[in-house]
Amino acid sequence: MAGLATTFGSGAMTNSINEIENAQVMLVIGSNTSEAHPQVARRMFTAMDRGARLIVIDPRRTLLAQRADIHLAIRPGTDIPLLNAMMRIILDENLADDLFIEMRTENFYELRDMLFRLDLEEAARITGVELASIRAAARLYGRAQKAVICYCLGITQHVCGTGNVQSIANLAMMTGNVEKEDTGVDPLRGQNNVQGACDMGALPNVFPSYQQVDIDDFREKFERAWHVSLSPRPGLTLMEMTHGGKNGPLKAMFIMGENPVLSDPVMSRVEETLDNLEFLLVADIFLTETARRAHVVLPAASFAEKTGTFTNSERRVQMVRRVIPPLGQSRTDADIIMDLSARLGYVMDYESPAEIMEEIAMLAPIYGGMHHDRLENSWGLQWPCWDREHGGTPFLHKYYFTRGKGRFVPAAHEPPAELPDDDYPFLLITGRIYHQYHTGTMSRHSVLLSREAGEALLQLHPEDGRRLGVRGGEMVRMRSRRGEVRVKAQLTETVKAGEVYTTFHFSEMPVNLLTVSAKDHFSQCPEYKICAVHLEKV
Amino acid sequence: MPDKYILKKDHLLPLLRKLKKTHRLIAPVRNRHGDTLFAGIDNLDEVRIDLENQPQNSLKQFFFPQQETLFTYSNPASDSYHFEPVVEESPPTLYFGVRSCDLSAVLYMDVVFLKNVKDPNYQRKRQNTILVGLNCNDPFANCFCNATRNGPFIDFGFDLQLTDLGDRFLVEYDRSRGQEIISDWRQFFAEADDQDVKAQYQAFLEARGKFRLQVHLDQAVKKLARDEVPESVWEELSMRCQDCGGCAYICPTCTCFSISDLQTTDHAGERIRSWDACTFSGFTRMAGGHNPVDRQMRGIEKRFRHKLQFDVKKDNRPSCVGCGRCVNICFGGTDIVRFINMTCCENI
Repeated sequence: MAGLATTFGSGAMTNSINEIENAQVMLVIGSNTSEAHPQVARRMFTAMDRGARLIVIDPRRTLLAQRADIHLAIRPGTDIPLLNAMMRIILDENLADDLFIEMRTENFYELRDMLFRLDLEEAARITGVELASIRAAARLYGRAQKAVICYCLGITQHVCGTGNVQSIANLAMMTGNVEKEDTGVDPLRGQNNVQGACDMGALPNVFPSYQQVDIDDFREKFERAWHVSLSPRPGLTLMEMTHGGKNGPLKAMFIMGENPVLSDPVMSRVEETLDNLEFLLVADIFLTETARRAHVVLPAASFAEKTGTFTNSERRVQMVRRVIPPLGQSRTDADIIMDLSARLGYVMDYESPAEIMEEIAMLAPIYGGMHHDRLENSWGLQWPCWDREHGGTPFLHKYYFTRGKGRFVPAAHEPPAELPDDDYPFLLITGRIYHQYHTGTMSRHSVLLSREAGEALLQLHPEDGRRLGVRGGEMVRMRSRRGEVRVKAQLTETVKAGEVYTTFHFSEMPVNLLTVSAKDHFSQCPEYKICAVHLEKV
Repeated sequence: MPDKYILKKDHLLPLLRKLKKTHRLIAPVRNRHGDTLFAGIDNLDEVRIDLENQPQNSLKQFFFPQQETLFTYSNPASDSYHFEPVVEESPPTLYFGVRSCDLSAVLYMDVVFLKNVKDPNYQRKRQNTILVGLNCNDPFANCFCNATRNGPFIDFGFDLQLTDLGDRFLVEYDRSRGQEIISDWRQFFAEADDQDVKAQYQAFLEARGKFRLQVHLDQAVKKLARDEVPESVWEELSMRCQDCGGCAYICPTCTCFSISDLQTTDHAGERIRSWDACTFSGFTRMAGGHNPVDRQMRGIEKRFRHKLQFDVKKDNRPSCVGCGRCVNICFGGTDIVRFINMTCCENI
């Protein structure tokens, strides 16, 4: 988010998902697309059918990596030196789009100065990838007319996450791969509505439509609409809230549809924080690990029980309609909030979700033309959609960037917070698998999904397995400086020797007991992707 | 009694109204979200029967529901089990607007569920049904029943069969129940003349030429029989398969199921039969964790072999009916048409 906001001005996919089918070159970095975003992967396969070339940058040999023309199996956490090396090669080989840089961007010289100081051999050494492969990838990307970069949490969940994203943006701007159809930078969102939540200001520093709280004009607009005075200070970030500990900054929390006990790093710290709150209120459709710790739990309605909109990765706002009335005592999120608000003395009187959408259209310019009647019987509209006549925006930054000129923000390598050493010799990467979703709150209720993937597996290279005396299917004790879990080993060459991979879906194997609390300085996103662990056979 | 009749389009609804008095009526209905589905009709005046679009579902779910309780069990004293079969009433039902593919699929399911050991649940739902078919004048975008040889027109298996001739339907019967409807409601049916029969034949000739896909199913069948399908085809398709099971669920002839016990109280539970798909790894994985089928390399193989090889060997005909639903729904691009094309064309 922060990375693209500072460079382009909008933290969202610049393309539509369908456009990927027409790409000539696809650069996939930090995304296990076929597992985590199958609908996007499907477009990538179609693009390949049409002759597109694929570059995958991933420490693991994922399914997509196996299909790639070039797979750069980098050391985890070395994306910046790799991207910088690619940019340097593009510069050296005259593949930079000078006109685009001149007309549409600023601050290029700062990047260029940094790139000229870059030692390519050293970059190759840091990343663990041969320079010739980096060169091949740079040429392939730099020479394409239509090139798409897709990235995901493998980029953002690092201490240098913002720098990673900025480097991706730099690479795209340097080659002019932004302003056009079928060409751009596409962060893939992990949840059906996480884009919508951000759009609506579920971030510490902005109101809906990314209007900063510390800018008076924006704040006054919302004060007038809501008849209250609003704080000009940004709120707390997620980690500040859930990692406060005994003397944390919060006395009470209201958590909706989120399961931080399992999903946030250093589980013990999260538990301590929540247990020391004076009051914890949780609204969820199931009794999650977090809800179990709450003083009050409000049963929420599922997607089938409510009407409203979801906003997906490609900025598309789509209607979801109530199919059945809320079961039992459950109520929709809007009902819960409105009732709670009324009891706290502020009456929110909306007669329907459509009325709420009208207010959104009024206050959030990028949603300006989105009304329920326009979203009915259609596949939705993509923001920005300024007014009722506007047909939505399939791809961003045509003619000018959201922030005016695209800004190059050079980034230097920042090593991960914790790397393997003699005591903790393995590097643990965490991620997701196809058949489960996040902390399993919903997906683990499906018998069929559990039959497909019902337990956590630790991917371990066969060589490491031999050394540890562990065979496939045997239990391993995995320990980091913060905690210990037991997990079943799966021997596979998907991971490199010295690196292991597992998922965070299963509460029996809460891998976030192990992860580090180190986080990106700008976005505050925790480094889930790298920590050092020790393994032994149970 | 002549074998071809004319039913005026204006008289269709009045006829259905009559038949509905004694039968539950199921027909393709366009719902308010713009989807056409086979659905039960309570009030003929409140729904729109849609014969223009292909229903997204087939008749499978009506005879073989996605989830079905076979029996309940209890052991109140914790020493002996008591079993109680769940018998659902199945009223006489008339299925209207069934196209050749779906009709053929029902005939195929009859073979699966009734040929040797008779499945009582299926049998209960299947008996007392009337199938009123509709020949396809305009095959849909992904249809290929010409290749599976059961369409676009069909001349057996139905009780009544309609052919759209513009302002009227030509009506044929194959089974006695169809004949009975015609004689019971003779006022709706006029004898067809030569012109009508010629018009039907013309419609058939034109329909035949309207298929948009080229599917050489017989070639694929031959290659499978001779074991000439290249490894790379299985591999390529299996890798792309997104493992959603949509093809099997939506397929009118996919009849694999699994059985599970659902405990309802401490001392009781029910045995449930639900749809399954051979593409899932849990379908073949053994108790010890070993899976004889490597999903990533061969996950999709069983499905196509079953339809185009094993069933051909067993019944002398493939069990794909060419409805194209899997082509519509598959988002990995691993549907049966893709398989056939990859198998038959060297350079795809």
